[in-house]
Amino acid sequence: MDIIESRTWIEWVITIAKFAFCFVPVLYILLLIPMERRGAGFMQDRQGPNRSYIKIPFFGKIRLLGYVQNMCDGTKLFFKEMFAPAGVNKILYYVAPAIPFAIVFLSPCVIPWFGPMVFEWGGQVVRIPGSIVDSEVGVLLLFGLSSLSAYGAVLAGWASKSKYSFLGALRTSSMTISYEVCLGLSMMGMLLLAGSFNLTDIVNWQEHHVWGIVAQPVAFFCFLIACIAETGRAPFDVAEGEPELVAGYHTEYGAMQFGLFYMGEYSHICINSFLVATLFLGGYSVPFVTTETMQAHMGGSLAVLCGVLAFFALAFLHLIYRYSRKLKATNLTNRFEILREYSLYKIVAWLAVAVFIAGGVCAWLYYDPSKFVVNGFAVGGLATAVGTALIHLLVLIAKSVFFCWVWIWVRWTLPRFRYDHVMHLGWKIILNIALINLVVTAVIAKLVGGN
Amino acid sequence: MSNYYNMPKLPTENSPKVEIFVDDKPVMVPGDTNLLEALKAVGIETPHVCYHPFLPVSGNCRQCLVEQEGPRGRMLVIACYTPVAPGMKIYTPASSARVKNARKATQEFMLVNHPLDCPICDKAGECTLQENYMEAGQNESRMRPEYGKNYHGNPEHQFIDAKGQVRGGKHVDLGPRVLLDEERCVQCDRCVRFMRSIAGSEQLQLAGRADHTYITTFPGEKLDHEYDLCVTDVCPVGAMTAKYFRFQKRVWLLSHTPTISMDDSLGANIWLDHADGHIYRVMPRCNPEVNRSWLSNTSRLAFQNFDKNRLPAIDVESLPIGKGKIALVAGGSCTMEDLAALRMFKESLGDGAELFGGSLLKVGAPDGIAKSGDPVANRSGMKLMGFADVSEFMKRASEFETLVTVNADLFGEDAAVAKDLEKINCRIALSAFDDATARKATIAIGVRHWSEVQGTMVNSLNIIQKLNACPVCPDENLEAAYEVISELAGNKLESASAAFAKATEYASALAGLTYDSIKSTGKLLEGGNA
Amino acid sequence: MRVIKQRPMNWVERLYVFEAIRGLWTTLKHAARGLFRYETLPTISYPEGQPEIRNTYRARHRLMLRPDGTPRCVACGMCAAACPAHCIFIEATASDDPRIEKKVKRFDIDHLTCVFCGLCAEACPVDALRMDTKVISFEHRTRDEFVAHLEDLTAWDPKDYPEDEQSQVAPGGTKNAEARKVWGMEVK
Repeated sequence: MDIIESRTWIEWVITIAKFAFCFVPVLYILLLIPMERRGAGFMQDRQGPNRSYIKIPFFGKIRLLGYVQNMCDGTKLFFKEMFAPAGVNKILYYVAPAIPFAIVFLSPCVIPWFGPMVFEWGGQVVRIPGSIVDSEVGVLLLFGLSSLSAYGAVLAGWASKSKYSFLGALRTSSMTISYEVCLGLSMMGMLLLAGSFNLTDIVNWQEHHVWGIVAQPVAFFCFLIACIAETGRAPFDVAEGEPELVAGYHTEYGAMQFGLFYMGEYSHICINSFLVATLFLGGYSVPFVTTETMQAHMGGSLAVLCGVLAFFALAFLHLIYRYSRKLKATNLTNRFEILREYSLYKIVAWLAVAVFIAGGVCAWLYYDPSKFVVNGFAVGGLATAVGTALIHLLVLIAKSVFFCWVWIWVRWTLPRFRYDHVMHLGWKIILNIALINLVVTAVIAKLVGGN
Repeated sequence: MSNYYNMPKLPTENSPKVEIFVDDKPVMVPGDTNLLEALKAVGIETPHVCYHPFLPVSGNCRQCLVEQEGPRGRMLVIACYTPVAPGMKIYTPASSARVKNARKATQEFMLVNHPLDCPICDKAGECTLQENYMEAGQNESRMRPEYGKNYHGNPEHQFIDAKGQVRGGKHVDLGPRVLLDEERCVQCDRCVRFMRSIAGSEQLQLAGRADHTYITTFPGEKLDHEYDLCVTDVCPVGAMTAKYFRFQKRVWLLSHTPTISMDDSLGANIWLDHADGHIYRVMPRCNPEVNRSWLSNTSRLAFQNFDKNRLPAIDVESLPIGKGKIALVAGGSCTMEDLAALRMFKESLGDGAELFGGSLLKVGAPDGIAKSGDPVANRSGMKLMGFADVSEFMKRASEFETLVTVNADLFGEDAAVAKDLEKINCRIALSAFDDATARKATIAIGVRHWSEVQGTMVNSLNIIQKLNACPVCPDENLEAAYEVISELAGNKLESASAAFAKATEYASALAGLTYDSIKSTGKLLEGGNA
Repeated sequence: MRVIKQRPMNWVERLYVFEAIRGLWTTLKHAARGLFRYETLPTISYPEGQPEIRNTYRARHRLMLRPDGTPRCVACGMCAAACPAHCIFIEATASDDPRIEKKVKRFDIDHLTCVFCGLCAEACPVDALRMDTKVISFEHRTRDEFVAHLEDLTAWDPKDYPEDEQSQVAPGGTKNAEARKVWGMEVK
């Protein structure tokens, strides 16, 4: 697992820059919290939190579609007093919340964010892998790291000196163990097909053959369930089941200590959704288009990307205009205030549309790598590689956001399972299905592929 | 003058018991009374409007009908005017539908032209018609809206209201204290009988006939008598209303405290009707031995000044009492407990102290209704406790250097006579009111008024009667006079029963009594009239 | 006793997966409604948007007025007697009008104690007390301000009750002049 193969400075720069991906799960928290809260509201025909605002000149009270509420809540958590109940094990009590949160920064290392960047630089072919650590056992490393987060829960439950926390910790540990097995086994079929533990290879196989969800639908299903169970979210949140355990392992935590558990949970969702997207939804690969084709028509690809983004901005504008019209017809006393706020969004969205369309047109008409020369030094290959990486990254993010939504969607739809049902499902159903799936896959792979 | 020939005989403890059959069941009832009282004695209430136990029977309302087995079969008779006879057979609504229907029909007739004034009627809540309606009436209205209610009484008071109905006789001014609502009147003539037989001054009369009957005074005359407010008590409906209580409070909001009126030595039994810390009215409390159901206007209206001009409570460690002789003067409204405390105080002061009691007011003649005329309410009690009369003190006033008065407003009662007292240097007044004596006193200590204390008094008939505390004291720091005095004497009496126990030590006539053993109607002391 | 027999689940339902997917579809529809048809959400963003209140809703009290503007209340105390929360305080006095015996001097309703059960309006024998003002919010600074006095209860505008004939009789209403004629009728 060489991190650096060649010795050009550009490779150093990009490799170091890739460490920024460590922060992706943390950034995802910012996305997930509003998605969860407002999504839950919409599913229950509520409006969700939408009242907090920031007052700015000219546009008045800006609520950022309810996002300010989450900022307020975060600020509140941050400034709350941290306390420990009497009789707790002080060291473990304070260390425990940090564990799941620390793992958040480690897990993204092995996820391929884009395809390997290969370009010519000063007469030398530079190859930069899409993940921070391009390990041969990448997926195993990821599992190892993500199951470490169970330690946080176990230590928290142990250190809290509370029977509820303790029971919650017991349940978490047993459930993590159970579903780790299912997780690993259900994924094995995919690994078998790709013939590698390296996630980049797996994505590469999917790109050139077929997506994992088509090749391994049963495995995908088992994997998804096991993933949800591993993150400890509803319907598998028996570890923090309010009716019987108050709040499970974090009963005794408050303020930012609780906030760390909370963020750890969301980051875990993020990592797992990246994993599902990578293993079964082709990862960073664009549907129906191979990387080679894309690179051959880089200008057109970028133009399409810009077009898609412009479409989303227009769709957003449509929603805003439509709702503004409806709002004008109501007799809410603050409707003009809201309309003034919306004018800001309209301006921003229109700017985005203009920028995207202009960018798309420019890319379509004028993109020519051979013309990219800086100080007499051809950087066309780098430009193509960066463009590809950008498209890959956006595609991966789109896929993972969809899976994040699946997490939320499932949570607010399905009722919680009883604890023994969870165990029953893990050990007696999913494990067996995954095993059978593995055997069948192996046989078919042998018969068809012959490798 | 008084027409006593048909006064009802009320059952007493000594009444002979006879057996009669009520609804075919044999019961033992008092034999020397009327049927209504006899049935009441065995727990059967008979609705009545015109009958009053202390008024002559007139039997005009026909509401108390019962059936009696007679030689000509079962006949309807009025219970209030039928004497009890041994072996008579009586049928009440419990067994007789005829009685039930008869009462119901009587009720319906009575209500035909009775206005629907209950919401604004002061009697609502204690109205006999309402009670009878709930018991015997409950008939469906057969009123035809095109006729409505028609008032046929005094033609001078008739008017046509906004709905086109003939109304009349609202708030007719009968006199300085009483208003008449002729529309509400059911012509039971209780008020007429009261003025004729009890008050002895025939100021009210029934005029007209049949449904044109109405109550009135003689032309140019007013209803003005010392007992005229009693007509508002005897009135079974809201026809007679007292001006002082008109619209003041709905009666169901009033709480009642049974106590004794301490402005007359007969000690009329009264109810203090109070709500939210104020007395709203004073009603006579039935005590056949003392005041029956009557109360004089003076006693009744005295409550209006109970919470005015009060003295504040002050904390006194010891009194600046000089070396010379000390006079302790108890006022007429002092209870037995106050007197006992004063005797304790006297004993603590030594030989120089002397006890006096009474007032400088003149003693009038008894009026035979509810007043003895003596303003010193507890005069008999003072005699029992060995208090000399205040007139003796006035004779020897110059001997004393210190004067302690307890609720005795000597200056206010007779300023000319009390002028000599100003020579006494140290004048200490314990008083409920900031009266003339309190203003002239060296120290004036506020105490509770008699309406706010527990205690006992002995009236002119030698009956010891019990006062109860009405929760209307304007200042909760105020204490009863006996508490203040006994504290000065160095042995605080914490409760009325403790103070009464002290009084039994001093007065032999009270020996063997305890405070709790005295009934609400009092107890006749041995030795007859004092 | 009524026994409700539940249909046993068939094998598709017992598999759970398909039923779960059906549930997911339902929630997805609702989520899409919130996202794309936000204004159809049933929530009313309350102080800015006000709910529609019928006149049968038991809201703040008011006292009906006679054509001459005096409150109809005769201070009978029936409302105070019916009130389970004991929040009505009434004082009465004699009326100056010869046709009217008793009028109200003080009429206080403590809205902090009131449970808005409507028994007072039921009990009123002269239809003086009503709860149809549609005023449902009470915001004040001190406890004393929550007590509605006689002048607060009679300060209402007949124009707010266009369909109610009884309200139009009050001064300022459309039927006031007519009612005043009948009311001012000479009495013997």
